[in-house]
Amino acid sequence: MRTFEYVRPDGVPGALAAHAGDAATAFLAGGTTQLDLMKDGVLEPARLVDISRLPMRGSTTTGAALRVGALTTMEELATDPTVERRLPLVREALLLGASVQLRNMATIGGNLLQRTRCRYFRDPAVPACNKRAPGSGCAAVTGPARMHAILGVSERCIALHASDVAVALVALDAVVEIEGPGGARRVPLTEFYLEAGGRPEVEHTLEHGELITGVEIPLPPEGTRSGYLKVRDRVSYEFALTSAAVALLIEDGVVRDARIGLGGVGSTPWRPRAAEAVLSGAPATPEVFREAADAAVAGAWTVPGTEFKVELARRTLVRQLRTVAEVTR
Amino acid sequence: MSTAEDLPVLGAPVDRVDGPLKVTGQAPYPSDVDLPGQAHAALVQSTIAAGRITDLDTTEAEKAPGVLAVLTHHTVPRLPRGPMTSLGVSPPAPLQDDRIRHHGQHVALVVAESREQATAAARLVRVEYAPADPVLDFDDPRAVSVDDPWGLDSHRGDVDAGLASADVTVDAVYTTPDNTNNPLGLFSTLAAWEGERLTVYDATQWPAMVRETLAEVFGVPEVSVRVLSPFLGGGFGAGLRAWPHVILAVQAARDVGRPVKLVLTRPQMFTSVGHRPKGVQRVRLGATADATLVAIEHHSTSLLAVEDDDYEPFAAGSAVAYACPHVVTADRQVRANVPAPVSMRAPAHAQGNFALESAMDELACALDVDPLELRLRNHADVHPALGLPWSSNALRECYAVGAERFGWSRRPARPRSRRDGHWLVGQGMAGVSYPWYQAPSLARVTVTADGGATVASSGMDIGTGTYTVLTQLCAHLLGLPLEQVRSDLGDSDLPEAPQAGGSGLTSALGSAVADACERLLGALLELVRDDPESPLHGSDPEDVVAAGGGLRRRGDPGRGETYAAILARHGRPQLGADGASTPAQPTELGMALAGAFGAHFAEVRVDEDLGLVRVSRVTTVIDGGRILNEKTARSQVIGGVIGGIGMAVFEDTITDPTTGRIANATFGDYLVPVHADVPDLDVTFVGEPDRASALGVKGVGEVGLVGVAAAIANAVHHATGVRVRSLPITLDALL
Amino acid sequence: MTSTPDVPPAPPQSDPGAAEITTAFTVNGTPRTVGADTRVTLLDALRDRLGLTGTKKGCDQGACGACTVHVDGRRVLACLMLAAQCDGREVTTIEGLSREGRPHPMQDAFVRHDGFQCGYCTPGQIMSAVALLREGRAGTDEDIREFMSGNLCRCAAYPNVVAAIKDVAREGGDHAHL
Repeated sequence: MRTFEYVRPDGVPGALAAHAGDAATAFLAGGTTQLDLMKDGVLEPARLVDISRLPMRGSTTTGAALRVGALTTMEELATDPTVERRLPLVREALLLGASVQLRNMATIGGNLLQRTRCRYFRDPAVPACNKRAPGSGCAAVTGPARMHAILGVSERCIALHASDVAVALVALDAVVEIEGPGGARRVPLTEFYLEAGGRPEVEHTLEHGELITGVEIPLPPEGTRSGYLKVRDRVSYEFALTSAAVALLIEDGVVRDARIGLGGVGSTPWRPRAAEAVLSGAPATPEVFREAADAAVAGAWTVPGTEFKVELARRTLVRQLRTVAEVTR
Repeated sequence: MSTAEDLPVLGAPVDRVDGPLKVTGQAPYPSDVDLPGQAHAALVQSTIAAGRITDLDTTEAEKAPGVLAVLTHHTVPRLPRGPMTSLGVSPPAPLQDDRIRHHGQHVALVVAESREQATAAARLVRVEYAPADPVLDFDDPRAVSVDDPWGLDSHRGDVDAGLASADVTVDAVYTTPDNTNNPLGLFSTLAAWEGERLTVYDATQWPAMVRETLAEVFGVPEVSVRVLSPFLGGGFGAGLRAWPHVILAVQAARDVGRPVKLVLTRPQMFTSVGHRPKGVQRVRLGATADATLVAIEHHSTSLLAVEDDDYEPFAAGSAVAYACPHVVTADRQVRANVPAPVSMRAPAHAQGNFALESAMDELACALDVDPLELRLRNHADVHPALGLPWSSNALRECYAVGAERFGWSRRPARPRSRRDGHWLVGQGMAGVSYPWYQAPSLARVTVTADGGATVASSGMDIGTGTYTVLTQLCAHLLGLPLEQVRSDLGDSDLPEAPQAGGSGLTSALGSAVADACERLLGALLELVRDDPESPLHGSDPEDVVAAGGGLRRRGDPGRGETYAAILARHGRPQLGADGASTPAQPTELGMALAGAFGAHFAEVRVDEDLGLVRVSRVTTVIDGGRILNEKTARSQVIGGVIGGIGMAVFEDTITDPTTGRIANATFGDYLVPVHADVPDLDVTFVGEPDRASALGVKGVGEVGLVGVAAAIANAVHHATGVRVRSLPITLDALL
Repeated sequence: MTSTPDVPPAPPQSDPGAAEITTAFTVNGTPRTVGADTRVTLLDALRDRLGLTGTKKGCDQGACGACTVHVDGRRVLACLMLAAQCDGREVTTIEGLSREGRPHPMQDAFVRHDGFQCGYCTPGQIMSAVALLREGRAGTDEDIREFMSGNLCRCAAYPNVVAAIKDVAREGGDHAHL
């Protein structure tokens, strides 16, 4: 790690002022990504602005949405009564997302901004990484790659967005609340992330110096059933090979509302709208689920190490659709 | 003279004597030690796998805050390679020239005032390379190969004739990947010179070897080198060599004239302290229709570093696993630009057994006989190569007890016969014949004025329970309560013991302790026999026993005296004796030396759609000879079984086939089993004390791991009908 | 057993190039002040500056759990926290679990059930286990295994760790200690 200045301002305005859009300054919240990448030498800020004590913690339910402060930890959100009752897919994604220790540290805002686990990105000794060093190429495309993405990728970058909870949140049309030098704004999470096909180094629409202050999660209509399935080699404590967040409202055997997020496959937390379109208004049958899953992975771009993910992602989604819909045959 | 009978301390499942230190954080691991004035070091490693360093610019690093020195091949003097050890050559000395032999080779060491400064400055060392095209795999035509590296290839009968006479044959190729030992404790070295005296706190499984190596490399007498490793955060073989980073830390301490501490990073643990090398094995088996084996042919090829050696005879175990008239085993190693492999828990046998016991399962399927029945029909009642009776062998009992406990008889014969929801359920088994190994050992036992005793040895407790079993053994032999015996280990100044490895330390060191106890009791007896003031004056040695904290008349415990009383009367603060053990010689004994035997029965669940493999239960039965402490021995076997689960379904060190860089060198990417992966495990010990061991002991540190991968692979086949011949068995292969 | 030489922790190193920061926090009930390079993690502050080497470094990347400590009563990874972030916080390490010289029941249970072999991951396992009870997650074997999965054990004493935790949970823990 190179040396840095550490400051801990009071209040959001103080934090924004301390950052001031300086290229060499970074915010520090839970630290689980930021410090890890600083140790690896991938991030080298000259100044860290510790925002972890700012008053942006806790959640409130207002009408049809749950508003979560950006510094709410994963553990706090996972044990939130509203989340437990109304948002099983969010709760499950959080609980399956990290160890308790990490959940006690990692914040929801930080989780949304977590960086890829791509080992080529995380090792500065690897010269070719368009995300770390724009224009340098992508070592993952030609090297061993199993924990990499197949959707929203290209030969320029196949880095995976490894968040679990973000997958559930994109499915729910969560909205990110942002404050910055230019004031406050709200961005739907589905428009927040940028696919790696273009400029892999730009992962989202947050401007440098802007701060996520909260996330608004619309509560699905009563009667919606939801859940998160994470497929991985280990039973626990591992990033997803594939995952599926599914929320279904089914009436008389017909899907009235379908929301899907896919993890382990996308350069961003993946929202397969084509799959939702297949489901919407269709009978909740295995045949329809399979059709939806085919639509979900259409356009997948693979390298030899990730080819298996196309079929695995299909099966993961079908399984989770069946589980949530309680279709057993 | 004899020792007290029926003392409950030996064999009893007593708690680890070092337990209180470990659960309170007080046990001093090498990285926990700090010395006044110490500096910190950080490594710079090569980013190519083959070629030369053309420029190495340390200017910026040397100017960085706190930096004391930067060691490179320009600054490090020419050092000799370390000595030949009983496990083979020493690694090449580091920073001797500009050549790069593997990705992750050390190219510089930065020494600074603080850990943070050293780490930061290490990133400032600029290295330019002239890369060459590395050799990275078996099939590279440029690769140099070594046939029969250890002279262990074996030929018995005529294997071609055997195969020709077979009614059923199996011919299959099995592959196993690189696995990385990955002890939790980051390896570290703290080196301090005082003149020509060198003290090193090192993460090693073999302090005596590190001392010998450092003495030779740095040209000082062995007596002036002291290596301490009283506790080690696991080794699994990684601590069996004096690695280049150890030499570098010692050189750095000499250069800066201060103690230097080097702690490897987790990624460096993948490149710097060995790994289980990957291999390809072809097994051909032949059997007659009545399931009698008539031919075993086992060929292996494994990967080796370009300028280093590794003992890894994958196929050798197949020569003695079964009664079979026609056998060929042959091993070959291929040199490549990879980090040096090293023994990793059950070296060679972990891999070789996977191939043989998978092939046996395939043969059972082809013959349409129960896999257990096939093994029983071909059981090696005598040593298959020597024709001699085993010094002990309870393999049949392992099978019988394991089958009973597991419920093997209820297993349906056909694959894909059982399901539970979307889970396909299957059961498989494997047998294990682990080889005998032992090295000479010394030990000292001393009784002290307080009436207690101390065991002293340079040998290690790497989590195996050595502290505890030696304490138990000494207490038993001297008739002392456990609390009055202390064991001092892991210090090269103490009597020399072999490595904690090869499942051989307990027998070797325990026998030396027993010998020391016997000599000590003899010396004590001499003191009292000629002493008119002793209640044992003039006693026949045969009538004296060690009991109640001293020497007693057999059958008359009231007549005797404590060690404290004996020492006090003779004005001695202590009395010690040295003991020794030497490995048994099979030819003298007229029997074949047996290692541990075992049988594993595994049940797996495989998700029919998603391919997920979950091990749901394992029953393991081990013949480890005499068990000195059932609690610690069971823990070792449990740990071995879980290591086997890791090998079977998770562990895979992935090397980039173009660059030679390890692509998953972190605990987030290299998967080892976690709590949630571990089902109920059932471990049972059977068998009798081994006749060739003074203590009857056969080591159990490795046998628990061997066979687990095959039992799981066989269970996966039983569950799914899919035969996976390549480890690890991950869902990709089962979709 | 050989003991470690009695050496005080190295004094803070002065570094003209580094930003220094003073952190005042409570460690195992005692107020402590560490003046150090901003880069120093909580883990290295405990080990290198305060001489509390019971907390272990197994990966330094937040992936093994060996450095698990409690900060304000919650289990966290000391390797992914800057010491500076702990200003004003209460930190509990393995050295701070005992009360009046008596080991925590979890420490006793780990010994009784042989919940370790080499012992290196053990302080982290125990700190996690104590927190697990506090979180109310020791109800079933499955829960214990899941919520302990952030603590790797390469010796794989896992079944014995689970047995130790169940034993303490069955006894109702020791609330004085929780």
